[in-house]
Amino acid sequence: MNNALGWKEKLGRALPADLAREIDIFEQQLELRKQGKIDEKVFAETRLRRGIYGQRYDNGQRHDGKRAQRLKLPDKPLKGPDTLWDAPGMMRIKIPFGGVTGEQLEVLADLSEEYADGVTHITTRQDVQFHFVHIDDTPSLMRRLAAVGITTREACGNVVRNVTACPLAGICRDEAFDVTPYAKACSKFLMGHADTQDFGRKFKIAFSGCQQHPCGLVTMHDMGAIAKTRRVDGRERRGFEFYVGGGLGSVPYKAKLFDEFLPEEELHPTAQAISRVFARLGEKRNRARARIKFLIANLGIDEFRKLVLDERQKLLPDPRWTAHLESITELAEAPLKAGDSLNGGERSEGFDAWYATNVYKQRQPGYVAATVTLPLGDASADQLRALADIARRFVKDTLRATVEQNLLFRWLSEADLPEFYKAIQKIGLGAADAGTIVDVTACPGTDTCKLGIASSRGLARELRYRLGEKSLQLDEAVKNLRIKVSGCFNSCGQHHIADIGFYGINRHVNGYQVPHFQVILGGKLRDNAGEYGVAVGAVPSKHIPEVLERITETYVGERQRGESFQDFIGRIGKKGIKAILENLAKIPTHDVDSFYYTDWGDPREFTLSDMGTGECAGEVVSQAEFTLAASERELFEAHILLDNGESAAAVRTAYFSMLRAGQALVKTQNPEISENEDQIISEFTERFCQTQLFYDKYAGGKFAEYLFKAKEFLAEGKAADADRVVQLLQEAQLFIDAAHDCHNKLRSNVVSAVKSDTMAQAGA
Amino acid sequence: MELQKLNVKIFTTEPSKVPLTNFIDIFHRWIQETDGVYHDVADYSHMVAGPGIVLVAKDAHVSIDETDHRHGLVYSQKSLLGGSNRDKLRSVLSSALVNCRRLEKEPSLGGKLKFNTSEILIWINDRLAAPNTEEAFQQINPEINALANRLYNEGKIDLAHDRDPRKPLNARIRSLVATDLETLLERLAKS
Repeated sequence: MNNALGWKEKLGRALPADLAREIDIFEQQLELRKQGKIDEKVFAETRLRRGIYGQRYDNGQRHDGKRAQRLKLPDKPLKGPDTLWDAPGMMRIKIPFGGVTGEQLEVLADLSEEYADGVTHITTRQDVQFHFVHIDDTPSLMRRLAAVGITTREACGNVVRNVTACPLAGICRDEAFDVTPYAKACSKFLMGHADTQDFGRKFKIAFSGCQQHPCGLVTMHDMGAIAKTRRVDGRERRGFEFYVGGGLGSVPYKAKLFDEFLPEEELHPTAQAISRVFARLGEKRNRARARIKFLIANLGIDEFRKLVLDERQKLLPDPRWTAHLESITELAEAPLKAGDSLNGGERSEGFDAWYATNVYKQRQPGYVAATVTLPLGDASADQLRALADIARRFVKDTLRATVEQNLLFRWLSEADLPEFYKAIQKIGLGAADAGTIVDVTACPGTDTCKLGIASSRGLARELRYRLGEKSLQLDEAVKNLRIKVSGCFNSCGQHHIADIGFYGINRHVNGYQVPHFQVILGGKLRDNAGEYGVAVGAVPSKHIPEVLERITETYVGERQRGESFQDFIGRIGKKGIKAILENLAKIPTHDVDSFYYTDWGDPREFTLSDMGTGECAGEVVSQAEFTLAASERELFEAHILLDNGESAAAVRTAYFSMLRAGQALVKTQNPEISENEDQIISEFTERFCQTQLFYDKYAGGKFAEYLFKAKEFLAEGKAADADRVVQLLQEAQLFIDAAHDCHNKLRSNVVSAVKSDTMAQAGA
Repeated sequence: MELQKLNVKIFTTEPSKVPLTNFIDIFHRWIQETDGVYHDVADYSHMVAGPGIVLVAKDAHVSIDETDHRHGLVYSQKSLLGGSNRDKLRSVLSSALVNCRRLEKEPSLGGKLKFNTSEILIWINDRLAAPNTEEAFQQINPEINALANRLYNEGKIDLAHDRDPRKPLNARIRSLVATDLETLLERLAKS
């Protein structure tokens, strides 16, 4: 925790300049928060946008099964509402389209050991997560990631999250074309884009190469693109079947078709226009209805489309819209070795079973992709290093994290598979269960999530264990089913799209709280998450293995010839399912068997008292508040420059910090104010000085004068003496403080107006 | 070199007769018996050769670890320690041994868990301050050697270094004689 500067110096030029600068800025923001100079709510959203998430018990309280304990943590500024500074947190790391290299795996391994608990966790959206991370360690962690080309920027918060894509993109036998470069370019284009910074909620994007397979899960995303080609003027054109407004959460929505064929060059401008409409019209106050799916449902897809197309027309051309198209074919992956068939070589025990479940024949002859299943998405540091070695031995950095929390090795020569299998088996990752009922996926649930109600990982672990023991005896129809578990209704485990899904709930039974799971049946992964399952009833957590057994046995025994699980569930209906689940809702009283009153893998008597306020929704922080925080940080930087003897730069930076604070105020009236200095000064003068909104009861317009005087001083080009520099920095601080006061005044006026409006409406 | 982020692993006698999941209940009880020291129990029993069951705290994690397919107690110092390197090493090793003693005496295990005190693995989880190089090892060698001599009462010891540059800086102490935990703690206290 004391070596942040050390890594900065050591890595030096190995860091891309833009990433290095961003991390420096975040480090300054950390320091300012410690000094109480950034509001805790603004800081919370700031850190979320750097991937630093809260974790269960970070409010300093934990129920130990008998009583609530206060965790012994020093009294320091909070890192967000009800979030203690020293409480461990989660670090989410974006892996666009899941693409990861051997070198990156090695760095992740090192970081998991040094800053977390030794485990690297792959999420259901191709991200990586570390748990139990101290916030003071995060700048070093980010620098080490940046040195291998990874950013944590916008991994959380109300922004565009990790852009996911089908892990088979580029090697799939059925795709229209490889969506990888499009996903990569889209991720880069929207990250940090001015039009994606003012959302009321997060925004998730997915790409798929084909319509029929599940890999991309397009229809459950806020925005999704399925590769399509079309002949136009005798030439094959690339584009996308383009969807908007999907999403899981407590109320799942299927995405609506926005355009049957969106030409590839229209992808970025359309995404930008959608972002503008969402930022402008999306709900900001009611977090539960702030996702774009609600906006589209309210407006209707036709009206939404019209608004977006109108917005599209207003956009000024941006070379980034099409820059990636010029090199699209150059980005294609290459194999390490020549592809060759298996040729009946020697196969070790277990190989054939593993081959049947974990290997996918690429469309390129002689090559296969092999899934390395990571139990519950977890890998140890040693396993990651070994996987990096294996990658170097067999492929050329062609790895993908999958939404099923596994790692896919692409471009393996089929002839190498027996040796590859031996290598992964040696590190305990040779399980033959990819894409089967045994490979249960789960969100973190009560293990680490503040919103978790029941133990999704605990249940997933138990189901994996039980199913794994009898996997060889499982009927083929059952073996191919998928199970997904979420710890609560928010669906991070994607339970709606599984054949058999579960999400955690609480029920009062016999005077006690008892962990339950709602059972969801009949979801469809195929067709890019083509159907959402139906809730069929709540069952005590400890009876869920029995639920699974009864449902799968009934399916095997009663299905009609060729009947899919979804069709079977539809045919027997809720009545039939109720009969299957008969008696499972009942549990013995607590004094007879207290086992039912605890959760899987957790001996504490079950309680909801550890639930906290989730950070998935982030904090709604206005652009004005962010800009005010940025002005504070710039002034902080001016002080550092002064300490380093760089007076001229300190003066310039202090002036720009005032300008930034003025811009923040202007943003409350004109959100689209540019970065142009003259325009900011002009609008600030007109909107705040001439109207006396920026006016102190005692000091009058004095603080505004500080800005104008500094501007004049810089225009004169004179060198400032030491006293003048210090004075200017002090004036900058006073100006920024006055800007905060002005902003607070404006905000309280808005709140009062809303209150009176509400009261008037109530009265009416 | 200042030693921070020290880790100590003390191995169980092989094969350990106690399933990993038994430690979940034990660690939860430890949380109940202390007051706000520990934050949580992390269950990684589903991983092969992973970190096992981890008792998480701000200052140090305690785990029953399975790395390299060898069970043992790992004491992982997280917060910064004061004092000399010798003090820090002594402090972390002592904490590890105290936790081993507590587990050996754990009633629910019925005496099935025993630690093999003839082997101790020490590593430093800080690749910046302590890269795993021969030079760095030579820097920590005198301190570790001195510690090992005190611990094993000047008996014959072997000090080994895994030179894999990707691993953290480490030292493995082996003694021909296994000494009981109580004696090791007494010797540490006197040193």
